[in-house]
Amino acid sequence: MNLRFALRLVGRDWRSGELRLLLAAALVAVGAVTAISLFVDRLQQALMAEATTFLGADSVISSSRPIPDAFRQAAAELGLSQVDIVSFPSMLFADESDDARNQLVSVKAVGSGYPLRGAVRIADEPFGRDRVAETVPAIGEVWLDSRLFPALGLHLGDTVSVGYAELGVASVLTAEPDRGRNFLDLGPRLLMRVEDIPATKLIQPGSRVSYRLLLAGDPEALSSLKASIEADLRPNYRWRTVKDSSPTIGGALDRAESFLLLGGLLAVLLGGAAVALAAHRYARRHYSHVGVLKTLGATPADILWGYVCVLLIIGVVGVLAGLVLGVLVHLGIIALLSTYLPVRLPWPGPNPFVVGAVTGFVCLAAFALPPLLNLRRISPMRVIRREPDRGLSNAITYGFAGVGSIGLLVWYSQSVWLTVWALVGATVVCGAFAIVALALLRGGRVVGMQAGSSWRLALAGLQRRRRENVAQITIFGLAIMILLILLLVRTALLAEWRSQIPENAPNHFLINVAADEVGAVQDLLRAHTDYDGSLFPMIRGRVITVNGEPARGWRAREGERGEDLGPGLGSERNLTWSDNVPGDNVVVQGDWWSADTAEALISVEVDYARGNGLRVGDMLEFDIGGLPVSARVANLRRVEWDSLQPNFFIVFSRSALAGFATTHMTSFHLEPDRKRFLNQLLAAHPTITVFEVDAIIAQVERIIDRVTRAIELILGLVLGAGGLVLIASIQASHETRMKEHALVRALGGTRNLIAGALAGEFAVLGAFAGIVAVLGAEVTVFALQTRVFELDYEIHPWLWIAGPAVGMALIAGIGYLGTRRLVRSPPLLVLREL
Amino acid sequence: MNNHSAAAPILRVDNVCKTVATAEGQLSILDSVSLEINAGESVAVVGASGSGKTTLLGILAGLDLPTAGDVWLDGDRITAMPEEDRARVRGRCVGFVFQTFQLIESLTALENVMLPSELRGESDAGDDARMYLDRVGLADRLTHYPRQLSGGEQQRVAIARAFASRPKVLFADEPTGNLDTSTGGRVIDLLFALNRESQTTLVLVTHDTALADRCGRVLSLEAGRIAS
Repeated sequence: MNLRFALRLVGRDWRSGELRLLLAAALVAVGAVTAISLFVDRLQQALMAEATTFLGADSVISSSRPIPDAFRQAAAELGLSQVDIVSFPSMLFADESDDARNQLVSVKAVGSGYPLRGAVRIADEPFGRDRVAETVPAIGEVWLDSRLFPALGLHLGDTVSVGYAELGVASVLTAEPDRGRNFLDLGPRLLMRVEDIPATKLIQPGSRVSYRLLLAGDPEALSSLKASIEADLRPNYRWRTVKDSSPTIGGALDRAESFLLLGGLLAVLLGGAAVALAAHRYARRHYSHVGVLKTLGATPADILWGYVCVLLIIGVVGVLAGLVLGVLVHLGIIALLSTYLPVRLPWPGPNPFVVGAVTGFVCLAAFALPPLLNLRRISPMRVIRREPDRGLSNAITYGFAGVGSIGLLVWYSQSVWLTVWALVGATVVCGAFAIVALALLRGGRVVGMQAGSSWRLALAGLQRRRRENVAQITIFGLAIMILLILLLVRTALLAEWRSQIPENAPNHFLINVAADEVGAVQDLLRAHTDYDGSLFPMIRGRVITVNGEPARGWRAREGERGEDLGPGLGSERNLTWSDNVPGDNVVVQGDWWSADTAEALISVEVDYARGNGLRVGDMLEFDIGGLPVSARVANLRRVEWDSLQPNFFIVFSRSALAGFATTHMTSFHLEPDRKRFLNQLLAAHPTITVFEVDAIIAQVERIIDRVTRAIELILGLVLGAGGLVLIASIQASHETRMKEHALVRALGGTRNLIAGALAGEFAVLGAFAGIVAVLGAEVTVFALQTRVFELDYEIHPWLWIAGPAVGMALIAGIGYLGTRRLVRSPPLLVLREL
Repeated sequence: MNNHSAAAPILRVDNVCKTVATAEGQLSILDSVSLEINAGESVAVVGASGSGKTTLLGILAGLDLPTAGDVWLDGDRITAMPEEDRARVRGRCVGFVFQTFQLIESLTALENVMLPSELRGESDAGDDARMYLDRVGLADRLTHYPRQLSGGEQQRVAIARAFASRPKVLFADEPTGNLDTSTGGRVIDLLFALNRESQTTLVLVTHDTALADRCGRVLSLEAGRIAS
């Protein structure tokens, strides 16, 4: 059989409608996957770009030492954009004011081009309406935080002193993208040019200075830069990306990625199932065709190549049309979501198209090839004598499908775990089905004997096509299960995300509150906000020894994937004391102390303790203000970092820190329209430092909202693919049903009897598929939530009613639509056509 | 290999046996059948239902293999060939007319008749097919699908297809089995007329003795053996 003949075969089969279902199935599989990939690809790029504004860059190299020129040179050679940042605390003097006030500020000196991602915002009056700054401060000028103006009695145009340099106040700084990633960044911000630093003469050997090199550009160039300087980075330089710089954003992105990928995987599985059903039907309808071709001299090799060509042609057409469909669907998604999406989505890379095309061909090879390959084994004898056809062995069918699906899923998700657990659900459904189906068919026979004629016919139909029904309930069950999983996981994820940032979460932090100001500050906060918290004492100190061993050599702070988890044990950090377990912290090991304990005890945050190898009972020696303090680890605490409440790695018992002078800190919620309260607060307590995090929270909320919309859309796409599987599956048994029911009608069965029997058969099929689906969904969701998403799990009682009900309604509905013609056509016509 | 005179046997069957495994043990369908059919002969194979007629036809045409014994078709020992080679022999020298017509539902009458030539990769398949359809009286039904044709018309398309492959041997399996007497009679007249014109060897399986009598020779199968 030559290619021309294969082309004719395709043309004729297309004309007769036999290939349409197969092509439609391939089209939807490719289209859904391409649309999802395209959308995910572009959205991820956009979300990543938005998230990178938290860093002000794509990646950052930071250190307490100057950034070596070698790094800059390597970055320049790779075509990456780069900007230097030098930050340090300093006193700011407002020279021109009469009482020569001063304030500790956090100086940030930047190069031109800052920031590489996101934007700096400035205003013309303190706490006033702000706008995007097109540039950075000019050389010789500074931009100051709103709160410095009331605190120092400054106005725009005044001159301030930073070290030996005198700089003009040019603008009010309201926001920087990479503002305040940690609380060590003390004091309100002063933004100046890196070129002015020498004039300040502030940087001396031993100064507490933080150097950063912001980098942006092609992800591959960034990776190769990281690889090329990897050896030189350790131990003094840290490489950070958005994922490890912000746990909240990183986590949200990771989960969104997992979820969107899961949606993609499910669309692939559903598309595969539809392709398999369509291909089996196509092959079955071609048994006689092949028999005749063989009697006319077609060899098994001719048959094989002929149908491989058919599949290739369908593959090429299906993939090309699927890619176009995918582009259109994803454009539709973007149009639909235009108000929620970033203004401009980046162009997609080639990857989504490769994913779509490979998916299409692999799907066809794994799901459609086995039944078509089997055609070459059709005996030519079947044209003169009906012989049982040697059916395709289950091992081959499921083997091909299994290898294909697993291969695709692993390749697509890059996660063996996600794939394994998605497939566990499918396997459980198949296993559970065997048991339920057997019980159903046996029970159905008993019940059916006593039932009315419609039901007797329906149950007889179910029983007679036992094998087909096994396959159909499995497919229906899988489709419903997948939809349920998506629904359950989506609900759980959304609930979890929303709860990450509670309503009225604190959005301002106060630090540097002197002990004698605590009462007054607390009163002011209570009078002007709904504040009901307390102020935490805060003192800086560092660990010197652990059980007598020097802390610096104690243990490296490194995460599971080699990422740097932050300052080491020996670094200076904020310490506090408390009589009670702070806020929403939970003691997970050991016991909290009684308020009147005289012993020096500490409570350590559990992950920090694990990272540093600390255990309950260990003795730690601290250097606090030059004095040694020894304390025993009494307990380990779990801390909700995302709650935005003041939290500490190490909490002392009160007696341990008695005698040390401490400042205090707290956090509170302030509505945006009441920002001017900060003026009042700072005018009354000029030494207090206010730290605004509301902009960061707003950004997190915006990202989560967009991710949520995207997920809802993917759910819609997967639902569409599920519907196609149902239609393909009904089509698969169409001929047999038509024939049987035409016979029943020819023998005197009424139209109502047939309609009732069909409705009953589909309803029973649907109900059982629903039960199996709920079982599978519960097991899979349990696995997904505990293993992949790391969420808590609880059983869903409503599902056990909704699942079978939805199954019945869905399948009876689609079944009725699919078999309407059967009920309406005159039996003679049906019999003649078959 | 194919140098045979008109009188030489185009089909030779030597001690062919066919047994199949059933739940009750081995069942013998054909038992040591031997026969020779010369080129241009018309032979009827008759017998009761279950006598092994259809099985014998399948083996003669190379559609099936015997359990023992040999078949030579047009000089080729087809019983020693793999399916791939037997298919080529069929394509080269065998035509079929079936009881159930066996037209391909998705193809028009013309396309069904074109099929054998297309399989051989011939380019003038259309002209040939039109000529044969004209010959069987269906020139005005070229674009009709099988389901739009009556049983007699479908069988005439099948006959046109059988002759369009210019076979040396035409196997007909109960060609009138699905037709009424008068339609069947017209179809058979056509079959014999075309057979005469193209000097094809005809092997016809039937249980209709009147039909069998129109053939040059009648072989009677009884319980898997040639009785006469």
